[in-house]
Amino acid sequence: MRRDAPIKMVSQLLDLPLIDRDGRWCGVVDDVELDGTPGRAMRIKALLVGPGAYEGRLPGCAFWLVRKVAGDRIARVPWDRVKNVASAVHLECRAEEVKLHRTEDEARRWIPKWGAM
Amino acid sequence: MNPLELTLGIMTAVGGFVDISQLVFSGQAGSMFGYSLIWAFGISTIGIMVYGEMCGRVAAVAHQPLFSLMRHRLGLKLGLVTLIASFLSTLVTTAAEIGGLGMILNHLTGASYLLMCVVSTLVLMASMWILPFKWIERTYGLLGLFMIVFIVALVVIHPPWSKIASGFVPSVPHGLSAKQLFNYSYFVVAIFSAVMFPYEAFFYSSGGIEEQWGPKDLLTNRVTSIVGMGLGSLLSIAILALAALLFAPANVAPQIPGSVALQTAIPLGKLGLVMALLGMLFAVAGAAVETCMANAYSVSQFFGWEWGRHKKPWEAPRFTIAWIIVMLLALAIVMTGVEVMSLVGYAVVFSIVILPLSYLPLMLLANDKNYMRGYANKWLAKILGWLFFVIVTIAAIAAIPLYVLTAGGQG
Repeated sequence: MRRDAPIKMVSQLLDLPLIDRDGRWCGVVDDVELDGTPGRAMRIKALLVGPGAYEGRLPGCAFWLVRKVAGDRIARVPWDRVKNVASAVHLECRAEEVKLHRTEDEARRWIPKWGAM
Repeated sequence: MNPLELTLGIMTAVGGFVDISQLVFSGQAGSMFGYSLIWAFGISTIGIMVYGEMCGRVAAVAHQPLFSLMRHRLGLKLGLVTLIASFLSTLVTTAAEIGGLGMILNHLTGASYLLMCVVSTLVLMASMWILPFKWIERTYGLLGLFMIVFIVALVVIHPPWSKIASGFVPSVPHGLSAKQLFNYSYFVVAIFSAVMFPYEAFFYSSGGIEEQWGPKDLLTNRVTSIVGMGLGSLLSIAILALAALLFAPANVAPQIPGSVALQTAIPLGKLGLVMALLGMLFAVAGAAVETCMANAYSVSQFFGWEWGRHKKPWEAPRFTIAWIIVMLLALAIVMTGVEVMSLVGYAVVFSIVILPLSYLPLMLLANDKNYMRGYANKWLAKILGWLFFVIVTIAAIAAIPLYVLTAGGQG
């Protein structure tokens, strides 16, 4: 599906994995930021990625727990950085360009880089 | 299709089919109910073939693993509930496999059970660190082929083949008391759960993506899932039939893996016993790795992390941390001193409860022509898929009451 085609947000976009230009997994579409006014067509402005975007999607106590464990970080991925939407959302850029992959990079520092085939 | 790859794939599926729960339940089922539960293995094997083939096809065509689809189809809330339930049940299964390994190594070496649990966990973790996905899968799967000794033992003692064949027809033995009937029903549910464990679908679907399957691999997927899993199931059926022949007349119900291995010692002597223990060791070790990786796959895919063991551990760091934590948590459960047989019971009951939630998103996506194009489910896959969905849903509803009523099959 092309970026400018009409889209069913819940069944075709929400909770899909994001894959960057290099084929790396870099999060899930946790929420969507819309642009528009009453009486006019709504347009997707950005995809919201990260545990902070769970607010409103989870019961209050569950979100409280998520925030305690994972924080409330949100990354905004501008819609114009999306290449296409299929069984995953493919980005036309690298994850780092839209501030994704940060926790992955932090976690990498803890992993020894030897011994694996 | 490369014939060598296909043969290796089938052999891997055969050797990797059996786990500690199947070992325990097939031995006990045969000793308690003769051949009358063979049909439960037969039907549940068709179920795992149907869903296994579907998982591989979705991985090859939509290039999406099961847990990613589950989150998209079930949404965040229900998806999170499924993730937590699946994580806990698979964690208990990993603990049961590690406990099983400890017992088998204890039989083989005489060293302390808990020490063997620690040693086997460290060896498993080292193998997961060092070996890439394909090698992990092949090493444990192919070494698990030692389990064929159970089929050899069955053939050598000239069993009543007609009675074994009649066991494939679903039936309830005559003259069971109400208590025995509940026990029989519990075993049916437990066998369905042990054969159709959700982790198998998570692992198989993620494995298809690890091996970068595409539409050209669909025939390999179909043959591997049908022939490999079908032949693998024969191992469990052989254990059941041996127990019916050797243990039932003596009123012995095998409670530990070592008793199951003794089935081969009777016709084949010490060599048979050692081969059976080695086969069980590698089959259970493979299952421990699969369950551990299945949990790491599930969490990583749910949150959209980098995942996979075709990558180096530091290329998918959160996935690596996830499987290390899962393995250590499972070891911690075993170290509390909880009995392996209790863990096996919890594992099958918890797993069957989440089976419907695991397979529903798979069915929906495999039916969806938008994603699957010309490879969407045809009429046979649809009928069988929904039929098994109804069966596992009924089993899921019945599981906990039956577990309580029968005290985990001991009542």
